[in-house]
Amino acid sequence: MLTVDALGPSGPYRTRNQLVIADVTGAEVATVSLVPRLFVTRTMAVLGRASSLPLAARLEALDAAGSLFAAESSEYVALVSRVSGLPMADVEAAAATISDACRTAYEAAQRARPAGAAESLSAVDVGGLWTRRGNVFAVHAAGNHPAVHSLWLQALALGYRVAVRPSRREPFTPYRLICALRAAGFGDDHVVLLPCAHDVADEILRCADLGMVYGGDSVIAKYAGDPRVLPQGPGRSKILVTADSDWAPVLDMIVSSIAHHGGVGCINATGVLIEGDPAPLASALATRLAALPDSVLPRYPLDAALALRDHLAVRAAGTRPLLGASQLVTDLGDGSAVLRPTLHLLPSASCPQLGAELPFPCAWVAPWHRSSDGLAPLRHTLVLTAVTRDDSLIASLAADPTISNLYLGNRPTTYVHPHLPHDSYLPDFLMRTTSFVSPPRVALWGTPNARLRRN
Amino acid sequence: MWDSDDADEFIRGAMRWHFDPATGSPFWLAQASSLGFDPRVDVRSVADLRLFPNVVDELRHVRPEQLIPRGYGDSAEIVGVYDSGGTTGAPKRVVFLDDWLQRMITHMLEPLDRLGVPLGLNWLGMLPTGPHAVGHFIGMAARARRGLMFNIDLDPRWVRRLIVSGQQAQAEAYIDHLVEQASQVLLSQEIGVLMTTPPLLERLARRDDLLAAITENVRLIMWGGAHMDTDTHDLFRNEVFPGIPLHGVYGSTMIMGGASQRLGDTELPTFDGFGPYITFSVVDPVSLEPVPYGVRGQVVTSHVSKSMLLPNNLERDTAIRVPALPGQPGDSLADLAPVQVFGDEAVVEGVY
Repeated sequence: MLTVDALGPSGPYRTRNQLVIADVTGAEVATVSLVPRLFVTRTMAVLGRASSLPLAARLEALDAAGSLFAAESSEYVALVSRVSGLPMADVEAAAATISDACRTAYEAAQRARPAGAAESLSAVDVGGLWTRRGNVFAVHAAGNHPAVHSLWLQALALGYRVAVRPSRREPFTPYRLICALRAAGFGDDHVVLLPCAHDVADEILRCADLGMVYGGDSVIAKYAGDPRVLPQGPGRSKILVTADSDWAPVLDMIVSSIAHHGGVGCINATGVLIEGDPAPLASALATRLAALPDSVLPRYPLDAALALRDHLAVRAAGTRPLLGASQLVTDLGDGSAVLRPTLHLLPSASCPQLGAELPFPCAWVAPWHRSSDGLAPLRHTLVLTAVTRDDSLIASLAADPTISNLYLGNRPTTYVHPHLPHDSYLPDFLMRTTSFVSPPRVALWGTPNARLRRN
Repeated sequence: MWDSDDADEFIRGAMRWHFDPATGSPFWLAQASSLGFDPRVDVRSVADLRLFPNVVDELRHVRPEQLIPRGYGDSAEIVGVYDSGGTTGAPKRVVFLDDWLQRMITHMLEPLDRLGVPLGLNWLGMLPTGPHAVGHFIGMAARARRGLMFNIDLDPRWVRRLIVSGQQAQAEAYIDHLVEQASQVLLSQEIGVLMTTPPLLERLARRDDLLAAITENVRLIMWGGAHMDTDTHDLFRNEVFPGIPLHGVYGSTMIMGGASQRLGDTELPTFDGFGPYITFSVVDPVSLEPVPYGVRGQVVTSHVSKSMLLPNNLERDTAIRVPALPGQPGDSLADLAPVQVFGDEAVVEGVY
C-alpha cells in the first residue's frame, strides 16, 4: 500500500494517525498521514519566517516542476482514476493542465495586474507597484478534479509561501505536485502539504495571511464573513438559449458542457434555460446523454452512488424526469458503480433545482421567460454560456456581478484557457497596489524647488 | 481491610462496608434492593464489579449527603462537593472525604520523585476550579511538594457553551484571556511545575516569550483534562519541550481522581490504574466484553474506596487495551481518545 506523508517544513513527516484511502471499489490503496494541530501551528510559523525565492529562481523552479509533474505519470494517472472514479483520459488531461499551469502561472497572474501598477521595483519610478497582500497562502483543496490544483500555483509564482490541505478523497495530486516543486528548487518551507482532520483544517487558515477554500454552501457560508478567505463554492454553471437562436446547431456544445470531464466540475453546466418550449431540446439532450458510453462517465463507490441516487430522487420531486434517478446507478458488481447522466425538465426557471449541482452529468432544463423571469435564474453562476443575438441582454449579463464568466455562442461552459480568469483573477484577491515614488531626481536646492525657498 | 494487599479481598471488604445497613451510604443502600444480586455475596473480585449497573446518571440529582457512608458517623471529614465537567448534560456531583483525598494526592505525586522533580518548586495550574475538583486539589499537591500554587481558573462549561452556540470568536477571546493571565505569572515568577490541558499547552507554546520562560524554568509539565493524541505528544516531548518531562493524568470526577501516565518511553501515552481503588477495563461498546490486548475499545472505570463506590462506569473515551503493570488489577489504557460519533453522511450539493 502507498504511503502519503505530510510534506512539512523539514521534509516528509509521517504520523501515527493514518487515514486509509480506498479506490471506488473499496479496495484500500494508500494511507495518508493526518497531522495534528500542533504540527500545523508550528509549520505555518516556519512558513511565515521563511523568505521566498527571487523571481527568476521561482520561474525556473516552476518551469522545472511542470516537467517533473508530467514525467512518468502513468502510475499516478491510473491511481487518481481508480480513486476519483474519473476516466483515465480526464486525469491525463488534468495532469497536462497542471503541468502547463506550472509554466504559465506567473504569466497568467500578470494578466490581473492593474494597468497602473508595475511588476517590480525596477520597473517603477512614480506610480503603482503591484505587491502581495500577505506572505502565506492557505488552500483547502477540493478532490473532485485534479485540475483544481492548477490555480494556487499563481500564488506561489507571485512569491507567496503556500500550505495545501489536500482533499481526503484524493491527496495524490497535490502530493505529486509539491514533491515536484520541491525537487525543482522550492524550499521545504516554501510549499507544504498538510493533510489533516476537519477540526484541524481551520488552524491552517488561522495561521495564514490569506486562504482559499473549496466547498459546498455550508462551507461557503462559514467563511462568508471572513475577508481573508476566498471561497470557491458550487459553480451552478448554466446555458441560455434565447428565441432568436436555434438550439440544434449547439446541441453538441450543450452535451459537452454537461458531461465533459465526467460532469464533475463546477464548470459543467447544471442548468439549461431555453426561451420557448423546452421539451424538444430536453428530449434531444436526453437521447444524446443516454448514449454516452460508461467509459467517459464517473465511477463512485456503490454505497455513495446509491446515496446520491436517493438524494436526487428526493430533490427531483415536482420535476419531469427524462433521465431520472432510477437509471443513475449502473452497478459494476465490484463494489463500484458508474453514474449515468440525469436530465430533468423543470416547470419553471425559478425552480430551486436549477442550481442542484451533483458530481456527475446532472442537468435541469427549464423554460425561460424574458419578461417574467428576467435575469434572476441566470444569476449566481460561475460560467454562463449564452446562445443569443441580443446585445442588450449580453450587456446585462456581462454587467451582473454574480455571473463570473460569460461565454457566447457555441462555446461550452467547460472551456478554459490559462489567460482567462476562473472566478475573477486569483491575484485580485492576492495582490494590492502600493503607491511608489522614487526620490526627486533634482536636488532640493535646484530650480524646481525654488518656490519652496521663497516661501 | 482497607489496606489489604489483595485486590479481590479489598473488594469483598468494600462490599461488606458499602452494603451493610450500619456502614453503607443511604444512596447505595437504596440501590441494593433493585440490583438483583447481593454485592456482599456475589461481588468477589475486581472483575465482578461489572455486575453493577452504571449508576453515575443518578449523581445528577441525588443529594450529596446521601453519598456519605454511614460508617463514618459524625466524624466524616468532608472536603467538599464537586461536579463533573458537565459534557453530557447536567453535572454529576460527588462528595470528597479527606481520607480518600490524601491517598489520591500521595498517589498522584509518587511519580514526581522518579521523574527527578525537586521539592520546593512553584506550581502554575491553568485548570478548572469553581465546582470542579482538580483545580482545588492541585494546590494541596503543590503544598505537599513544598511549593507555592499559582492558579488561573478555567471554566470549561463556558468554553463549551460558546463553542456549541457557534461563538468561536468569543471562545478564542476567552482562551486568549487565560493565556494572558498565565503570561503574567510565567514572566514574573519562577514556575517549576506547569499543569494544564493539552489545548492550553498548545496556546502557551505559540508565544515565543512564554515558550522561552517555560523552557528556562519549568522542570515538569503535567497535562490532563483533555485528550492528547500520540503525534502531538511526540511533538511536545521531542520538539516543543525537549528535556522537560511531560506527565499526563487521566482524571475524572467519576474515578474521584486521576490515573498517572506510565513513566519511560512507552510507544503510546499509557495510563495505569490505581488498584484496587481505581481500575479500568477496555470493552467492546456493543457486547461490553473485554477487547483483546492491543485493540481499541471503550473505557470502563471503577472507583472503590471507603468513601465512595462508583463501579462499572462506561466512559465516553476509547483506549487501546494494554496489560496492567505487575500486581495491578484490571487493564491499562493506551492512546486515549474521545468516542467518535459517526452519523449517516448526508449528500452535500456542489461538486466539492
